[in-house]
Amino acid sequence: MSAKLLHKEKWSEFTGRLSGKNLWAPAVQGEVKKFVPVAEGETVSLEGGNTTVPPKALIFPQTETLYRFSRGEEEPEPPAIDEEMVLLGVRPCDARAMALVEKLFRWDFDDPYYLKRRELTTLIGLACNEPEINCFCPSVGGSPASTEGLDILMTDLGESYLLEVLTDKGKAIAGAVEDLLEEAPAEALKQKEKLAEEALAGIKWSVDPEGIPEALPQLWEDPLWERVSAPCLGCGICTYLCPTCYCFDIQDEVEGSAGRRCRSWDSCMFAEYTVHTSGHNPRPSRRERTRNRINHKYSYFVDKFGEIACVGCGRCSSLCPVNIDLIDILRQVKAAQ
Amino acid sequence: MSEQFRPNIVAFLCNWCTYAGADLAGTSRVQYPANVKIIRVMCSGRVNPLYVVNALQQGADGVIISGCHPGDCHYMEGNFYARRRLKLLKELLEFTGVDPRRFTMSWVSASEGHKWKEVVEKAVEDVRAAGPFDQFQRRQIGW
Amino acid sequence: MDLDKLRKTAAEIVSRDDVKYLIGWRRGTFGYRVSPHFVRDAAGADELIFSPLCISNLANYLTLVEKLPVPRGQEPDTRKVALMVKGCDSRAVAQLLAEKGIKREEVVVVGLPCPGMIDRKLLAEKYPETEQAAEIRWRGEDFVLVDGEEETVIPRAEVLAEKCRLCRHPNPVLSDVTVGEPVEPWAAAEDSGVAEIMAKNAEERWAYWEEQFSKCIRCYSCKNACPLCYCEDCILDRLDPIWVNRSVNFSENTAFHLARAFHLAGRCIECGECERVCPAGIPLGKLNRMLAQTVREEYEFEPGLDPEAEPFQASYKPDDPEEFIL
Repeated sequence: MSAKLLHKEKWSEFTGRLSGKNLWAPAVQGEVKKFVPVAEGETVSLEGGNTTVPPKALIFPQTETLYRFSRGEEEPEPPAIDEEMVLLGVRPCDARAMALVEKLFRWDFDDPYYLKRRELTTLIGLACNEPEINCFCPSVGGSPASTEGLDILMTDLGESYLLEVLTDKGKAIAGAVEDLLEEAPAEALKQKEKLAEEALAGIKWSVDPEGIPEALPQLWEDPLWERVSAPCLGCGICTYLCPTCYCFDIQDEVEGSAGRRCRSWDSCMFAEYTVHTSGHNPRPSRRERTRNRINHKYSYFVDKFGEIACVGCGRCSSLCPVNIDLIDILRQVKAAQ
Repeated sequence: MSEQFRPNIVAFLCNWCTYAGADLAGTSRVQYPANVKIIRVMCSGRVNPLYVVNALQQGADGVIISGCHPGDCHYMEGNFYARRRLKLLKELLEFTGVDPRRFTMSWVSASEGHKWKEVVEKAVEDVRAAGPFDQFQRRQIGW
Repeated sequence: MDLDKLRKTAAEIVSRDDVKYLIGWRRGTFGYRVSPHFVRDAAGADELIFSPLCISNLANYLTLVEKLPVPRGQEPDTRKVALMVKGCDSRAVAQLLAEKGIKREEVVVVGLPCPGMIDRKLLAEKYPETEQAAEIRWRGEDFVLVDGEEETVIPRAEVLAEKCRLCRHPNPVLSDVTVGEPVEPWAAAEDSGVAEIMAKNAEERWAYWEEQFSKCIRCYSCKNACPLCYCEDCILDRLDPIWVNRSVNFSENTAFHLARAFHLAGRCIECGECERVCPAGIPLGKLNRMLAQTVREEYEFEPGLDPEAEPFQASYKPDDPEEFIL
């Protein structure tokens, strides 16, 4: 690992230079903040909080063509995935989420689409100096300056950015803009440590997940699920905008003699998600669906991969239109134990 | 451009009046543009507005819906419902920026072969003036 | 608003043998959030609130609740559901009754005359949310943000929700019990959002909606939050025939939004929930309000005022407008 310093007067040149490498960065469009492509020479602002749509949408697109087919042609055509991509300003929680999701896509089958895109993507992170209201990453093993999943971690030091180059992919990027960087002095690293500590102290919510994975199976029939799911609308906001949710549905779309097989995000909060061909639905109401969402993140994923599938970004709590708050649910789980 | 552009129009015709009217136009050897692809439905009231949306998605440049004159419906009142419903659809499409010339609705009875010819001619002319409609096509966008 | 009276009334209602639960609002877990609150016993009534943040329409819970099969040997629970409604919410109940989506004897309607609600997003722009659940009250025309001893007056014009600016029915159109005095309806503002689009030409309109619909992530919160979107077998869930593909792109998104708006034509009671819950900020209300305006002006019909009225699209008049028909 090496640490570099980038003065802010060189920021626009830095992003301008990277924009030739298929650079994506957060931008506000109306009410939504999401990663958008940065046109060549365009500058980027990393002000403000995290994106509404997590960067998972770039590596695991909401709709993705698996292959195209047409009558008379024997071999289906999978689309080529060969474009490198650089994401600038990824928050540590979202980068950690990608590391978690990757476990699933490498599990019993190596998903070529996800893994290829992941491999071609360089993640330049931005440490959170000012956590948002619903952030709780330390409770689930993260931190506002976590480096997991990232290739470079940037920290805003006021006058300059500190760049910690973490991987070979990160080195390649740093190498391309070497003339803009200088060696980071020891004070810069100290200042970063201090900012990280302050950020940690600024996080308002916390819940100790200790015991939750074990408690959940025992609370299967607990009245708490009825209670917390009663206001649920059954929409897909909490899952679609969750950085660790990865469910998808595969469908053929055919018109005339040609078509494509594509996969789109799916959500366990939808009634249709579990419905059988017979019409039977093993998760017949929002109670079971809400229970599944929490169980999946805090119990099933733990059983399978040894980690909680939640990075504490707080999106589900912030974006829920009826104020179903994950922290509140987890506290109720702990209380019911 | 307008010389090469052949509008692709989908027509939903009621079985009892306009379909028979179009048939009469055929047997009477009335010449009319061949841009129309007819889909026979039992009543104009059976036309789900989503048929129109779906036709546009699948590549139609314009849509015609035609049924019996008010009062002549084989099912007494189907076309009255159609009239309300499709007026709203027309307003909605216009509001979202679909050229109103792409949407034609008419009453053509079984004996009005000539009126059918006029309706088609007008629709083709209108859609030709509006130009091809590929901004909304599935294949152009998603595939 | 006399909260004690509200809570007392609610406690009395939920204590009745023929009432299953009462749906109202309670303070949220942080900021300006308010959560729907299901009161199952008299004690739960103490958490009820009615404040300028209670913008959500609770009428959708009447139809959102799953009708699960009753286990053999058990009797179905036929107790009533009590519901707190503002003016707009009560219109949803009236429309549900008109469509026979619910029966009158299934609900107890607690009417709350509404002086106007706050748009949380507008408020948060001026006064950022904190981790504390805020308390806001009405005072005269305006709103007051109460923080312990400290009070901040927020002028009505700054944060009033759009649907409330356009509101023509602040008092419930039907109720079994009313808490609070009726409010004087205010002059509804001009619907500038719809008028702005009307002023555009076809290409500009298309460009506007293309931008809007492209943002959609198809979470279906608009459909689920709508009290009048309650088909048990929704065309959007259908796979055969498939009306709208699952893939998320401008074409399918547009088809979905046209279908959604159309299915509410002549039914939408303008509670603005679709627009409020949209995480992408798509101005869905404009589509609905344009159609509502057409229905009001050209057919002289307004849904959700008379629970006995024939639904708009299931009725006709022989002299309905037909100038658009050849």
